[in-house]
Amino acid sequence: MPDAIIRAQGLTKSFDKGDLALEDVSFDIYSGEIFGVIGKSGAGKSTLVRCLNFLERPSAGEVYFQGEALSGMSRKKLYQARQSIGMIFQQFNLLMQRTVLDNVCFPLEIAGWKRETAKKRAAELLELVKLSEKAGTYPAKLSGGQRQRVAIARAVACGPKALLCDEATSALDPETTRDILSLLRDINLRFGITIVVITHEMQVIENLCGRVAVMDAARVVEIGGVREVFSRPKSEAARALINTDGEAAALLRFLGKNGVSIEEVLGHVWHDN
Amino acid sequence: MFGMIIKGLWETLYMTLFSTFLAYLFGMLIGIVLVVTDKGGLFPVAALNKTLGLIVNLARSVPFLILLIAILPFTRLVVGTTIGPTAMVVPLVVASTPFIARLVESSLKEVDSGVIEAASSMGASPLQIIYKVLLPEARPSLILGAAISTITILSYSAMAGIVGGRGLGDLAIRYGYYRYQSDIMLITVAILVIIVQILQEVGARLARFLDKRLK
Ligand SMILES: Nc1ncnc2c1ncn2[C@@H]1O[C@H](COP(=O)(O)OP(=O)(O)OP(=O)(O)O)[C@@H](O)[C@H]1O
Ligand SMILES: [Mg+2]
Repeated sequence: MPDAIIRAQGLTKSFDKGDLALEDVSFDIYSGEIFGVIGKSGAGKSTLVRCLNFLERPSAGEVYFQGEALSGMSRKKLYQARQSIGMIFQQFNLLMQRTVLDNVCFPLEIAGWKRETAKKRAAELLELVKLSEKAGTYPAKLSGGQRQRVAIARAVACGPKALLCDEATSALDPETTRDILSLLRDINLRFGITIVVITHEMQVIENLCGRVAVMDAARVVEIGGVREVFSRPKSEAARALINTDGEAAALLRFLGKNGVSIEEVLGHVWHDN
Repeated sequence: MFGMIIKGLWETLYMTLFSTFLAYLFGMLIGIVLVVTDKGGLFPVAALNKTLGLIVNLARSVPFLILLIAILPFTRLVVGTTIGPTAMVVPLVVASTPFIARLVESSLKEVDSGVIEAASSMGASPLQIIYKVLLPEARPSLILGAAISTITILSYSAMAGIVGGRGLGDLAIRYGYYRYQSDIMLITVAILVIIVQILQEVGARLARFLDKRLK
């Protein structure tokens, strides 16, 4: 049995109003793997990932990071644990009044690094994400893909053990998405950082993850190897996710084989109306 | 007459800038506490937030002139007199601090909650988030607010004449209103208009210059 770097046990979350956002969610995430969580909008994915570093305190259940229960940690201890768990977001969430370099310096400042060493480290990370020439630029001037790469550099600056990604590619076009996914894969391989990927997009899971958990209505309804889940889905939710995606992909493949582009087809549809 | 106006101008600037400095200091603190202790804030404390909010609202609903007179005993306690520009600083600060607190509060609330969440996810403490995220990210908006505050305090300070606080407003009332010397009144009004324009323009330019979202 491999080591669980993050263990969720019976996680339940209820907000003031409405149904449960999480209900009795348990799983282990193994050290060094890329773990996916998929589910449709409102399934509770963001709530789940925010519980993993206690940005959201679960109403019941426990999260263990490297064997230690987060709920038992003092504030200071929890802040330290968070420095070992990077996080990136759909909206990038960069500091708009700081340069790219200073954005990457931010977590290092929080961790108490000296200014000079922090700057050196930040410059190395910008090289890693291929944005060295943008060091002095402000985020407002960057494209979405570039912003996400800055966010990735920032999230791994302190050398975390794990990286949480909440819909990290959902605001990006397909090509940029591929770039970001390959950067994540690269980081996983080179530094052995465990990655948790939250998404509603099938191909993100297919391209990146080893194992996947399928969420539906606040619960994890299925969990297993990506191939196994996608080829023999046991849950209704997994089947639904695969089918909608599969139909669109099949249509595109069919059109491609016959040398017709989707724009042409849509052009006909609009023209006919 | 010229000397009188220069003296009045100096007194007005002194009252305005000194009061703004102090009021902004207190207002900023209260504004930060209002944001941080709010429900969903960095450190929610409902009781403190509600009480402070109530005090701020009460203080804001008292007209300046009434507040000015009502706190005369307090003013005497603090500066030893109720006459002159320094004595005016007390009611000006008391009256504008709650207003500035609300301005600061709304500036800080404009900061994207996602950015704050990102900082939390990196292990930043609430204090670190305040001075490394909230204040720097809200800087352009805070500067605009500071310009507005200064202008508001300037216009309040013109009422100083009524209780012997001196300054340009005092001149305008004494010579222009009581003695029908409309030339002095016109000059003081012109000077006040110019000061307001300068403050507004400097504030707006500085805010724009420092806002890295626009470049
Ligand atoms: N702060 C909150 N207060 C109240 N309800 C919330 C809060 N955050 C989330 N919820 C509710 O919890 C449920 C799950 O939300 P969550 O954001 O986790 O879904 P999601 O799977 O991430 O969806 P999406 O794909 O749209 O991001 C939703 O019904 C949502 O309305
Ligand atoms: Mg979400």
